[in-house]
Amino acid sequence: MAAGGSSRRANAGAWLYVLPALLVFGVFIAYPIIANIASSLVGPHGDVGVVNYTDAAHDAVFWIALRNSVLWVVLCVLFETAIGFVLALAIEMYIPRGQAIFRTILFLPMVITPSVIALVFTTIYAPDYGLLFGAFNAVGLANAFPAVLGDPATATYAVIAVNVWQWCGFFVLMYCVGMAQIDRELLSAAAIDGAVGFARVRYVIWPLLRSTTISLAVLGIIQALQQFPLIFLMTEGGPADSTQTLATYIFQTGFVLDKMHYASAVAVVLFAFSLALIMLQYRIGRAERTAHA
Amino acid sequence: MPKHGSATRLLAYAFLAIAAFASLVPTIYMVDISLRDSADSFSPVLIAAHVTFANWSQVLSDSNLIGFFVNSGLVALITVLLTLVCVIGLSYAISRLKIRGGQVMLLVVVSALLLPLASLLIPIAKLLAFLHLTNNYFGLIGPETALGIPFGTVIVKAAMDDIPVTLEEAARIDGAGSFAVLAKIIVPLIRPSLIVVAIWQFLFSWNEFFLALVIMTETKVKTLPLAPLYYEGPFMTDPGKLFAVLTLIAVVPIVAYVVLQRWFVAGLMEGSVKG
Repeated sequence: MAAGGSSRRANAGAWLYVLPALLVFGVFIAYPIIANIASSLVGPHGDVGVVNYTDAAHDAVFWIALRNSVLWVVLCVLFETAIGFVLALAIEMYIPRGQAIFRTILFLPMVITPSVIALVFTTIYAPDYGLLFGAFNAVGLANAFPAVLGDPATATYAVIAVNVWQWCGFFVLMYCVGMAQIDRELLSAAAIDGAVGFARVRYVIWPLLRSTTISLAVLGIIQALQQFPLIFLMTEGGPADSTQTLATYIFQTGFVLDKMHYASAVAVVLFAFSLALIMLQYRIGRAERTAHA
Repeated sequence: MPKHGSATRLLAYAFLAIAAFASLVPTIYMVDISLRDSADSFSPVLIAAHVTFANWSQVLSDSNLIGFFVNSGLVALITVLLTLVCVIGLSYAISRLKIRGGQVMLLVVVSALLLPLASLLIPIAKLLAFLHLTNNYFGLIGPETALGIPFGTVIVKAAMDDIPVTLEEAARIDGAGSFAVLAKIIVPLIRPSLIVVAIWQFLFSWNEFFLALVIMTETKVKTLPLAPLYYEGPFMTDPGKLFAVLTLIAVVPIVAYVVLQRWFVAGLMEGSVKG
C-alpha cells in the first residue's frame, strides 16, 4: 500500500469508480427495500401500524401462497439437485466423449424465454389435444388423463415440474464445472483404497462438491421463490387460488386488486422468508464444514 | 478417469440420451406446431404429418413483431453495457484501489444476490412512475442493471483479485494512471469473467417478464417476453401462428448460447479454478 498522501488521493479517485454501481444499486435496490417496509406499515385508511400483517394472518389465500412457496422451494431444490448431480456425474465420470454436446443440450431450456416456455407447456398439458394427452392416449390411458392445470390437486406440481425441467441444465453445468476440478489422482488414490462404484460417489465425489451444492441450493431457493411468469401465464394463480405463491400474490394484490400497501406486507414476508432460508442454508453448510474439519 | 466397463458406459449414454430428449421435446414440439396447417394444429402428436410455412410467412410480415425485437435488443444491449461499467468500476475500486469501506460495500451488494425481484417490484414500480420512466426503456434498464450488479461483482471481483500486483506496479512506474491500468491491463486480463457476466446479463434481460409486465404497458415499448400475451388472444384459434411467434422469440437466446457457450463454460471453469 502506498504512503498516506497518495493513498488518500487514490481513495478520492476510487469513489469515481464505485459511483455508477452505488447509484444504480442505491436507487433500484436499497431504496426499494426501505420504501417497501415503510409502505407495508401504512393501513388502507392511511393509518400507521401493522394492520396489513394482521390482515395477512387472517387471509386464507396468503397462507395458500406461503404454503405453495415452501412447496416450490423444497421440490425444486430437491429435484434440481438430484437430477443435476446424477446427470453431471454421467457426463463427467462415465462417458469418454460427447461431454460438451450433452452439457449444451441440457442447458438449452435455461436460455429459453420463460413466457414462451409457459405457453408451450400449457399446450403440452392441454386436455384432448396436448402432447401429454397424446402420450396417455398412446398407452390406452386416455380416460385416466387428469385435468393437470385445471385441477387444484395437480396444478401446482405441474408448474413446478416445468421449473425443474428448465433449471436442471443449470445444475448439471455447475456440477460439471465442479467435477472437472476434482483432482484425478485423488480419485485414483481413493479407488485403490476401495472407493469404487457407489462408495466413490457417496464418500468422495459428493463431499468434494459440497460448496457447489450449497451455492446451487441458495440459488435454487431464490429462483423458486421468485418464479412468476410460469405461474402467471399457466394458471394465473388458479384454479381457486390453489397455485398462488408469494410472488404471484404480490402481483395479484398490488397490481390487480390495487392494494399496494397490503402487497408490500406480503413482499416483506417474502423478503424475510428468503433471508431466513438462506441463513439456515449457510448455517448447515458451516456446521457441516466444521464437523468435517 | 477411472475405467468403466462398456456396459456401464452404454448405460450412461442411454440415460443421457433420454435426458437430452426430454430437454429438447418441448422445443421440437413448439417448432413443429409452427409448421402445421390448421387441420393438424390440435392433434396430440409430437410431429404432425404435413408441413407448411404459411404461418411463418404471415408472422414474419407482422410489423409489430419487429418492434418487440428492437425494444428487447436495445434494452438488453444497454443493460449489459451499463452492468459491465458498474461492475468493473466497483470491483476495481474494492479489489485494486482498496477503497475505504470496500468490504462493507461488497457485503451489502453481494447479499442482494439473495433478493427475490418480486419483493422489490412494488416500490420499483412506484419509483419509476414518480420518475416518469414508466413505458420508457430506462424503466427496465435501471432495475435490470441493478439486479445484475451482485452476480457480476462476485465474478469480476474474484477475477481481479487473482491478477498479480506486480503487473500493475510495473505500469504505474511507467506513469500510467489508475484508469489506464484498468483499461490496458486489468480489463484484457479478466475478459473470460466479463464474457460470463455479459452472457448471463443478456439472457436475464432478454427473458425478463415480471418487470416488463408491470412497467411496459404500451405496445410500442413492449419487450419480447410480453409478445406471447399480446399474440395469445388474436391467435387463440390459430396455434400455428402463435407458435411461430414463440419460436422466433426463443431462437435468439438459443443461437446466442450455442455460439457463445464455449466461452461461457470456459469462463466458469476458470473462475472456479481460482475461486
